[in-house]
Amino acid sequence: MEHPILFISIILEKLGLPIPHGPIGNTFLEKLCEPYMTYTWFVMIFLVVVGKLTLSNIEMIPGKGQNFWELLIGGMYDFFNDNMGSELTEKLFPMISTFALYIAVGNLIGLIPGFMSPTSSINTTLALTIIVWVTHHLIGFRAHGVGYIKHFLGPIPVLIPLMLPIELISNVARLLSLSIRLFGNIMAKETLLGILFMLAGAYFAPLPIMLLGVLVSLVQAMVFVLLTVVYFGQSNEHAH
Amino acid sequence: MAKKLSTEMVDLLGNYGHIGFTFVAAIFIGLGGGIYLDEHFFDGSTSPWFTFIGLAFGIGAGFKSLFDILRTPAAKTKDKDSEG
Repeated sequence: MEHPILFISIILEKLGLPIPHGPIGNTFLEKLCEPYMTYTWFVMIFLVVVGKLTLSNIEMIPGKGQNFWELLIGGMYDFFNDNMGSELTEKLFPMISTFALYIAVGNLIGLIPGFMSPTSSINTTLALTIIVWVTHHLIGFRAHGVGYIKHFLGPIPVLIPLMLPIELISNVARLLSLSIRLFGNIMAKETLLGILFMLAGAYFAPLPIMLLGVLVSLVQAMVFVLLTVVYFGQSNEHAH
Repeated sequence: MAKKLSTEMVDLLGNYGHIGFTFVAAIFIGLGGGIYLDEHFFDGSTSPWFTFIGLAFGIGAGFKSLFDILRTPAAKTKDKDSEG
């Protein structure tokens, strides 16, 4: 298959940095120059710069940029408040909203030629998921102490030997399903776009898939955040 | 109306969109754990047994996650109905 043209990789190669030719580099510098790493930094810089440009002077009567952010952040804040309660939202709002913005921008950036979604690599999504998974257990232990184990013991004491493995397995399944769903959807979008572009790019064959890609990108970012919020809320609640 | 519809859509996607994947992931984790116990922990002396036990627990976990998904949103909507 044709190698995709990634402009950050080309620029870095011109600068003399080693670009790995496979998906995974060998040395530390090669690992840092992998496309998903460089595009992660690109998304980070993009978010910081856009935030700085639009929010540098906050006014009482908001302009275009400030209005957009107020709508977005306010909407997310209300949504978290409804689903997790105000206490958790106060603590965890920066983390979850950063995930939401990063995943949404990271997904959408892959639709532009010359860019690649950092979320189409399992490394990125697994890293995000591990952070969420560890945090939801920390929230549970913080809220209930050792009694958090009751979440995994089922309703009846007699059934503990049966319910404990089942609960543990279904908890670890969250780790797998959350990471692989995001990775799979975005990777499929990227691969499909690449193949269609190669086969019939002159006849605008990738256009309908690009339209679907916008939808998939936004929906997957939303689902990731929604599930994160649901997991946090569940581990904060009392055991059933 | 449009806002209500979109939040409902997000709710549905979030609650039911991951059913298939969670179910499969649970089964594979159970099966993988069983195979690991058989082959690496007991060095193959208990060969098919822990694989099957792990598979059974995995399938159980899959169905348990299905029941969880079924139970939570239904309870939520019932609360909302009784309020409004």
